[in-house]
Amino acid sequence: MTSPVLTRTPTQTVQAFLDAFARHDIDAAVALADPQVTVTVHPLGVREHGAGELRKILADLVRGFPDLMITVSRVITTGDVVTALFKAEGTQAAGYAGAINQEKHLDIDQAWRFVTRGGLITEVTAYWCQAQLYRRLAVKRYDEIAIA
Amino acid sequence: MTEVSQRPRTAESAAAVVTEFFDRYRAHDIDGMTDLCSINADFSYVPVEIWGKQRVLRGDGKVCTVGKPLWTGLVTSFPNLSNTVQSITSNDDGDVVAQVDIEGTQQLAWGLIAPAGRHYREPHLFIFHVGADLLIDSIAAYWNDAGISQQLGHIEVD
Repeated sequence: MTSPVLTRTPTQTVQAFLDAFARHDIDAAVALADPQVTVTVHPLGVREHGAGELRKILADLVRGFPDLMITVSRVITTGDVVTALFKAEGTQAAGYAGAINQEKHLDIDQAWRFVTRGGLITEVTAYWCQAQLYRRLAVKRYDEIAIA
Repeated sequence: MTEVSQRPRTAESAAAVVTEFFDRYRAHDIDGMTDLCSINADFSYVPVEIWGKQRVLRGDGKVCTVGKPLWTGLVTSFPNLSNTVQSITSNDDGDVVAQVDIEGTQQLAWGLIAPAGRHYREPHLFIFHVGADLLIDSIAAYWNDAGISQQLGHIEVD
């Protein structure tokens, strides 16, 4: 009998990840990643390996913005690569990326590029603009991120 | 003038159009880049936003009216502007996704950033759609503009 993991298409794998992330089910999202997944988050300067790093990225977002809402506008499949375009919205309730909590509302358009193999995510590369994020969180200077 | 190809659109031919687009960008051939796009091609540089007192200007519109002036301004402010294509993936529907590093050394003001002769290199993700006529009819790009500002020595968010 073929494993359901192996029969998942790249699109299905990433859609399941996005669905889990949208409902803040970090365990379910991370379960869709290879244990040695490559995680690159350009705006945070993250270039690491391992599902634990992916868990940290997702958990930090949900902790910082407990009402985080993920609205996916497009999922583009190009072979084993799946690119998801979505808007992340939420109200800050804890420090995030060095910015103190001022209960500001965040809305950031993002693009996440996934590489899949055998029904698992083997690479995640996230693109968003940290200037837009800091602007919405009322950060004025990059050298004084924690000062309101 | 827009170039129309007689080749069929496949994942490979769509990717070839985008490869040519970045070749022309590297050569600062802005007219040539525009020639690879349909006359009404959509354009969205997502990080571009300028907050005024009463409105926000965004990098959204058409290639001919927003994209071309932006590209022209970039090569003017960064005379050695260049790009390195890290990956291109595509499908038979004409979707093309490109990871591209853009870099350059600032010689003139760019937005609010005064020229200090500094160099930047920043990863970008470009999302293209290539029509059945092998012309680009949509361009969107995502990158971290804070990374560029900081590399150029501009430490204020706005």
